[in-house]
Amino acid sequence: MSDPVSLTDHPVQEASSTPPAPGRSRHLSDRWLTVAFISPALLLLLAMSVFPLLWALYLSFTDYSATRGGPATFVWFENFTAILTSAQVHLRAFTTLLYVVGAVTLQTVLGFSIAYLISRRVRGRGVLTTLFLVPMMLSPVVVGLFWRFMLDAQFGVINSMLGSIGLGQVEWLTKQNTALISLIVVDTWQWTPFIMLIALAGLTAVPKYLYEAASIDRASEWFRFRTITLPLVWPLLLIAVLFRAIEAFRLFDLVYILTSGGPGVSTETLSFHVYKVAFLGFNTGTASAYGILMVLIVIVLAQLYMRYLNKLKED
Amino acid sequence: MRYPRRIGQLAAAALLVATSLTACGGDDGGTAGAPKAPADIPELTKEPLTLSFIWFDWPPAKALEAFANAEYTKERSNVTVKVNVVPNANWHDAMFTQFAARKTDFDIPILDSQHIGEAVTNGNILDITDFVKKNIDVNAYNPYLLAAYGQFPQAETGQRDENASLYGLPLLGDTWTMIYRKDLIGETPPATWDEMIAAAQKCQTENPGVSGLAFHQANGSDAAAVTYNTVNGVYGGNLWDSKARKIEGVINDAAGQEAMDVLVNKMKPLTAAGSGNWFIDEVNAAVAQGKACIAFNWIAASGGLLDPEQSTLGKTREEILQKLGFATLPKQKTDLVPLGGMGMHVSAYSSPEKQAEALNFMKWFEQADIQKKWAAAGGVPARTDALSSPEFLNAGPFNKVYADSVSRMRDMWNVPEYARLIDIENTNVNAALNGAKDPKTALNDIAKEQQAVLDSAGKKGGGGL
Repeated sequence: MSDPVSLTDHPVQEASSTPPAPGRSRHLSDRWLTVAFISPALLLLLAMSVFPLLWALYLSFTDYSATRGGPATFVWFENFTAILTSAQVHLRAFTTLLYVVGAVTLQTVLGFSIAYLISRRVRGRGVLTTLFLVPMMLSPVVVGLFWRFMLDAQFGVINSMLGSIGLGQVEWLTKQNTALISLIVVDTWQWTPFIMLIALAGLTAVPKYLYEAASIDRASEWFRFRTITLPLVWPLLLIAVLFRAIEAFRLFDLVYILTSGGPGVSTETLSFHVYKVAFLGFNTGTASAYGILMVLIVIVLAQLYMRYLNKLKED
Repeated sequence: MRYPRRIGQLAAAALLVATSLTACGGDDGGTAGAPKAPADIPELTKEPLTLSFIWFDWPPAKALEAFANAEYTKERSNVTVKVNVVPNANWHDAMFTQFAARKTDFDIPILDSQHIGEAVTNGNILDITDFVKKNIDVNAYNPYLLAAYGQFPQAETGQRDENASLYGLPLLGDTWTMIYRKDLIGETPPATWDEMIAAAQKCQTENPGVSGLAFHQANGSDAAAVTYNTVNGVYGGNLWDSKARKIEGVINDAAGQEAMDVLVNKMKPLTAAGSGNWFIDEVNAAVAQGKACIAFNWIAASGGLLDPEQSTLGKTREEILQKLGFATLPKQKTDLVPLGGMGMHVSAYSSPEKQAEALNFMKWFEQADIQKKWAAAGGVPARTDALSSPEFLNAGPFNKVYADSVSRMRDMWNVPEYARLIDIENTNVNAALNGAKDPKTALNDIAKEQQAVLDSAGKKGGGGL
């Protein structure tokens, strides 16, 4: 069997040496064609993603305000220092941490459990999976709005159900101890299917012969789960957790619709706070620095996480 | 061959630099201060033109669009008036993000009275002082109303500085009305704040399932802040010392503390469970469904309470009015009431022909007969003659409340830092009302944080946290 690497080792050079097809201009080499095809996407990426990021980076070192206009004065690291030493920011960071840990843990446990149960079914698996995926397909704003009605202390269906079984009214969205839990529950309702989907893909990919061999060895259900299912699905599950943690870290829409960050600021996440800094006072420089710091945190944590994943893979 | 790769890299770098330079070059908003509108209205176009407003989504916005298209088009048949609406919580952002872009899809922003300072300082709206001098009869207005919706720097409560510049004209006057259940607490409304609380307490005890009070508590917009400011005013407190730009020690003085105590410890226990995020619509819903003995709401948003289709209090307007009464706010140590309502302004980024049309609309709107027609259409006018006209007073049972309240009004801070000041107050009052903060701590935090915002004006770096 020939080595496939040797055929694709230098694909571009190989391609460029190929004479142009009949009817094509002599000057239109494969390389130029490549550039021509990539350029629109590259242009879009530069204009919509790279430039705004670099521009935000530049603004983060200034005291620029979008509404006041005028020249941006360099303040160097003052925005960053102010953010990192602000008690207000620390409070939002703690709230965000509680939210991320609570929501992602709950979603992982539920998502994996549902996927495990579905994977054991033969009939109706497709229909069940589709039904479970519905919440994920809805807009977070729509989800927030109908949960806001459902959680209303006076007229909401949740309190009505609690009342019918003799339990008292719960102020879901207006009490400090229940507002964050409500956010976690709503986010879990919407995003558990995502974890479920990834876990289901992992569970389906586990080779059947492993289970058959375990059966021959008369291994218990728990032993098979612990030694076959979980280790094989774990890396995929961790990737799903990474995606969800990044998403949860930048939570804005549900907070905006459900609690507006209240009561007080007790459910204000970092993203919600950035929004306020950016649009209430139009402190564009500070908001840019805040955003850059959030991106940095995500990058650093994601890198550490990926290293752990790679190590897991090597082991 | 590496040549094409280098070309690609160079092209990408050049593109990035070009994009950056374009963005840098696009910032033409370096000059602060509002541009001046001409004293005379320039020649108006005969071509079809759409005059766009921006407001938040509430009944007066719909009333304005219908009224303007019915009446203004009699004079200017080529003009269509469009009132664009956004959710209340996005109102400030929707206007000021467009101002930030130096390009607006509206010609007449309807600013809250406290937004004027921010818009003027940033040069977002026209200075219409000369236009007003030449085209508007300023003596036809209560001076404070004219000042509140147009003057900057802010006027002293109840006054107008005739030397100050004007940047807007009144569109809709407003204040809070006390809505009370005549069938539950009697025909005569409580005269003092203490009496009001006692009546609400008694009503709640006697009518299970009906809460004593309903008022704004939400932490969005200016909901909870206006509630505290109202109680603060009634109990003799002050929001700030505007001349010294001092808040610390003013809002949280003894009167301020008493007001916070009354609000959190005496009024809040009389509200429905879970009402900690109520604003205009939720308070109206509670009243319409017969779930509140006494409620406070903006007059301009109270029209729906008399609609039998939205109410369980009666099958006709008359039946509802047998149960609902509208009164001016009770007095206590003072008789202050909150100033609501908004003014019309002209976007500095509209085309000259639309700015001319906007000025013409404003001149037309402020005429005596048009103000009366606006009153009859459901609006709250600002001209004194319109306020005392039968067209206004007979248009709604709460209109007399407004007319009686004009001399009692007090506004908040009209400064460029308003959006941050109101957010601080809103979140802290909301926290106190919902048990997330001790009332005294909340008020002291308001004072400290608001003072820091005022003191940090002009400070470099880290602003807005």
